[in-house]
Amino acid sequence: MLLPKFDYHEPATLEDALRLLSEMGGNARIVAGGTDLLVRMKLKVEKPSHLISLRKIPRINVIIQRENHGVSIGAAVTAGELSTNELIMERFTPIGLAAARLGAPGIRNRATIGGNLVNARPAADLSPACMVLNASLKLKRSKNEREVPVNDFFRGPGETLIEPNEMLVSIFVETPPPWSGGAYIKLGSRKTLEISMVNVAVLLTLQSQNGPIVDAKIALGAVAPTPVRAFAAEEFLIGRQPSAKLFSEAGAIGVGMCEPITDHRGTMEYRCLMIETLTSRALNQAYQDAMTWKPLPV
Amino acid sequence: MSDYQVLNTRAPRVDGPAKATGQAKYTDDFKIPGMLYASILQSPVAHARILHIDASKARKLTGVKAVVTAREAGLIKYGVSPARYDETLFAHDKVRYVGDEIAAVAASDQDIAQEALSLIKVDYEELPAVFDMFEAMKEGAPQIHDEFPGNMNAEVHQEFGDTEAALRSCDLVVDHTFINKRQDAAFIEPHSCLAVFDHSGRLTLYTSTQVPHYVMRTVAMTLQIPVGNVRVIKPYVGGGFGPKCEATPLEMSCGLLSKVTGQPVKMTYSREQVFLHSRARHQFYAEMSLGVMKDGTMVALKNKAVLDGGAYTSFGIATVYYSGSLLGGPYKLKTMKYDGYRVYTNKPACGAQRGHGGVAHRACFEQLIDMTAEKLGIDPIDMRLKNIMTTGDITVNELDMSSLGMKECIEAIRSGSDWNNKKGKLPKGKGIGMACGFFVSGAGYPIYRSDTYHSTVVIKLSEDGGVANVMTGSAEIGQGSDTTMAMIAAETLGIKLKDVQVHSGDTDYSVDLGAYSSRQTLMTGHATKEAAEQVKSQIASHLSEELNVPVSSITFADGIVKFDGGPGNFEKLRSSYIKEHRGWMDPPTGEYLTFREAARMAYLKAGTIVGTGKYKPPRLGGSYKGAAVGTSPAYGCSAQIVEVTVDLETGQITIDRMTDAHDCGLAINRTSVEGQMQGSLSMGLGECLFEEVKFDSRGRVLNPSLGEYKIPTALDMPKVKSIIVESSEPNGPYGAKEVGEGAIMPTIPAILNAIYDATGVRVNELPATSERLFMALKDKSEAV
Amino acid sequence: MKRIIKLTINGKTIEAAVSSNQTLLQFLREDMDLTGTKHGCGLGDCGACTVILDGKAVNSCLVLAVQADGSEILTIEGLAEDGKLHPLQQAFVDKGAIQCGFCTPGMILSAKALLDEKPNPSELEIRTAISGNLCRCTGYQKIVEAIGEAAEVVRMREES
Repeated sequence: MLLPKFDYHEPATLEDALRLLSEMGGNARIVAGGTDLLVRMKLKVEKPSHLISLRKIPRINVIIQRENHGVSIGAAVTAGELSTNELIMERFTPIGLAAARLGAPGIRNRATIGGNLVNARPAADLSPACMVLNASLKLKRSKNEREVPVNDFFRGPGETLIEPNEMLVSIFVETPPPWSGGAYIKLGSRKTLEISMVNVAVLLTLQSQNGPIVDAKIALGAVAPTPVRAFAAEEFLIGRQPSAKLFSEAGAIGVGMCEPITDHRGTMEYRCLMIETLTSRALNQAYQDAMTWKPLPV
Repeated sequence: MSDYQVLNTRAPRVDGPAKATGQAKYTDDFKIPGMLYASILQSPVAHARILHIDASKARKLTGVKAVVTAREAGLIKYGVSPARYDETLFAHDKVRYVGDEIAAVAASDQDIAQEALSLIKVDYEELPAVFDMFEAMKEGAPQIHDEFPGNMNAEVHQEFGDTEAALRSCDLVVDHTFINKRQDAAFIEPHSCLAVFDHSGRLTLYTSTQVPHYVMRTVAMTLQIPVGNVRVIKPYVGGGFGPKCEATPLEMSCGLLSKVTGQPVKMTYSREQVFLHSRARHQFYAEMSLGVMKDGTMVALKNKAVLDGGAYTSFGIATVYYSGSLLGGPYKLKTMKYDGYRVYTNKPACGAQRGHGGVAHRACFEQLIDMTAEKLGIDPIDMRLKNIMTTGDITVNELDMSSLGMKECIEAIRSGSDWNNKKGKLPKGKGIGMACGFFVSGAGYPIYRSDTYHSTVVIKLSEDGGVANVMTGSAEIGQGSDTTMAMIAAETLGIKLKDVQVHSGDTDYSVDLGAYSSRQTLMTGHATKEAAEQVKSQIASHLSEELNVPVSSITFADGIVKFDGGPGNFEKLRSSYIKEHRGWMDPPTGEYLTFREAARMAYLKAGTIVGTGKYKPPRLGGSYKGAAVGTSPAYGCSAQIVEVTVDLETGQITIDRMTDAHDCGLAINRTSVEGQMQGSLSMGLGECLFEEVKFDSRGRVLNPSLGEYKIPTALDMPKVKSIIVESSEPNGPYGAKEVGEGAIMPTIPAILNAIYDATGVRVNELPATSERLFMALKDKSEAV
Repeated sequence: MKRIIKLTINGKTIEAAVSSNQTLLQFLREDMDLTGTKHGCGLGDCGACTVILDGKAVNSCLVLAVQADGSEILTIEGLAEDGKLHPLQQAFVDKGAIQCGFCTPGMILSAKALLDEKPNPSELEIRTAISGNLCRCTGYQKIVEAIGEAAEVVRMREES
């Protein structure tokens, strides 16, 4: 398995990286963990003539807590780090759980959240997790930057809003309100090293420990060309009192949002049926998590 | 537990430290000066006529040393069984599957070799292709080989007794059909070969193979080199499981390119090429009827098999025979009928894989037994015990169970798993199932017709007497055969295990048919034992002469020699040994004569002490057509109980626990025996739940990677309780027989029987994916 | 175009010229002759090429050699000290955790990375830590047992 030839760049600052990116335009790709890009290059699916590495760029691989109101995750933070970070696990649970299910440990130690989002595979683990947390993506280019909601980011398999001379530098996630809980469930055939047949991320917010649902977010992966939100199911849940029955009804509504395909991993019919089951399960889990919400120790 | 000093212990593997430190060299780890890198051009289409090959551009590329096609390689046909030589090294008239080999290049580095391949222009005239075995059998289907009309590669028809009449006389006849999917062996080391053709005209191949002997013969034949001038050396091998049991285009290409260029040539398959080369488990369709009496007595078995062979024969003839012959036991049947068909399709050729030919049909049969037991209201274990064969029984197709601890295995798992308290008492979604199986301890006959010994072994003592060098052509591929031979040699010679050095996997050392059909423990083991006995008797007779004591008074054990059970009078031997080795670090001490001193004395009298051993089985089996396949000097057997949890809302299956008992005769190395048992279960679990090589509509493998072809991970395998059952096998060295393949036989049906117990659904198509099971559950609930 | 990288491999500082498209695996095997690191698939699916890079187990087939510039790398060849097997290596030998041995170096290094972080892992943590290292021979049971035993040896060694 040989890699095609390319020039490698290791800029020391973000500015340098962005300048290189704008100079090379479509001929360059950003490399962070490389667990997806290098595979596609070995398979000759991609042949960039330049790779721009993020490894020397300061602070692009750190998680920064923003005083109580949120967290900023550098694009080069690895899945391994996300899955072991206590703050992420406690407050941004779907991201932590999804990161823990990505690939296997050796992959998680290299794969980054930025790569997982930008590659825009329909079955990606972190995309639905970021979607239920309403993450906002900071895209930079040489001259300017913009913030794009992750919910608008995906356009198709491998396609996003990102321009060739733009780089995803960080992901900002607002801290969910008190009495929020999250879940992430992935269905594959093995217990690990899997690409999802279906995955579901959920964030549920209660008014109080026993109170009705004040907010619900459900995102599904591998069921359409991009990960999708199940808006109808979300709306159905808001204002209602949580129960297993309610969650199973929401699951049935969730199926309506999806247009899964039949491929060698699973048929459309089975995927649709599993959306229902897994959505309802994820809602139950998120509810359990929400009920046990605790203020963070100071 | 036993009187043995070395055998039956948990001695650590002799190659353990080398493998644990990364020092063990596998073929791809070798690099020699002047070495070229080779690569093979493979067909991108499944079925086409080759109109023209133009390699001129590739030949001109700087760094390319040679390009070879059928023109250079010639058209000598080869294969596994001489009865079906249907391959040439490179395709010349037609390509028959995506991956069929067309040319090979040798270049100064891998990048150039790859680039050269892209410069070879091949004009194809595409032909209609057929990918499904049933389609291939239909009239009007595309014809893959002119010599085999109807794409019928091999047909087997056998009948023992009047099966139809017997079925009519039965109280109950139950039918079942079953289909598995094509597997890949998924060994972690891809095939690799380094060929060195030297100035004296000698070809040495370092290659990742299970069978140096057969590779030597095939390569000599196809490359037209005298067989005495071909030496095959097998370095450490990263797993084989069957597909490394035959000479590969990779080995022949490297040999040819080295011959053409005069330089060493190395090539290693990419993982995708491993899938394209395949030679792994066939897809089998099984159709069976079992006739029984009311009390559960089995009477008649009717069995039909259709095998998807892919584009060439490989091991296929043996495979299609095995699917019938290995169902003759371990139950007493009065009649059995078998019709088997192996069909060509435009896909990579299938061959042998762990449990050769028997696994899918065993899965069907053992489910059928459970289905029958259920109808009769008999516990599945009792049903089996009622019909079980025991030592000395002969199957309806004349296989001799010279030892058979089948009953003991069943009883061991029944109590080991607490079956009686679980069967029928588990909540919905939880299930327990069992199954049995048996397998040969070495094929009774070689692949080519011959009176050859199956194994010879040479043991040569070092001149100081301290080390016994065991030299054998047998193949250590991870199963632990080097350790087994070292233990047998040490036990027989009466020395410590650390004083044996095994040199194996080299056709220059001895004749050995290699690591397939679970043969080496029994066959190479016999030859090792005989060679060691010869060495020992030479030493004993020299001692007897030197010390003037009768041979019968001399015994060897644990590195020391006793005379009538005592130290005897050996002073002059010791003082002369010490005098000869003045200044050495380890003079012999203690109150007994050491083996080392005795061996040195023998050397001084007779020169280098060498013992040789040999083994071939006696004439085995019946006289009907195909009677040879399935014969063996001995049979190992196994019973397993599997406990599962089925997620009824998704169909996902979790294997909670496995209990496995295996009769391997005397367990030479208890740790290795358990390792084979656990590894077999893992492979069976993968085949049952996940594994399937998939193709698109044009015959291209859809999942040629270990990411998409899913073998079990550490999180998929449950805890296994391994119970070793030891019968005494009269035909095995020290009573030993197989464990490497018999142990996979019951795994799939035991899982499927457990799934049925948990859900009431019979899975009759593999793999039992969550989708397949969920849909079956849904159909069942809708039908109610 | 070659680039000069400087890195520490098994405690030794190395300076070498590498091509940008060379993987760390190729660099270790072909340039450094450290062939204990194995090539099983090239796509990060099997774990045979696992090495420890700055304390983390990674698939060296998916790391560029140039990306290892300035890093510290441990391969299987660097684990034994003074000719004495590391407790993990010893436990793999003693417990029968090795068969064909091709997954062994990667398996041991994944286990090493685990024990460095969690000296007292549960069985599930052990199985998870090696879940990206495929083994076709053993069914994993003896590997899991060996890692558990080695953890105990390492803990005892550190206590004393």
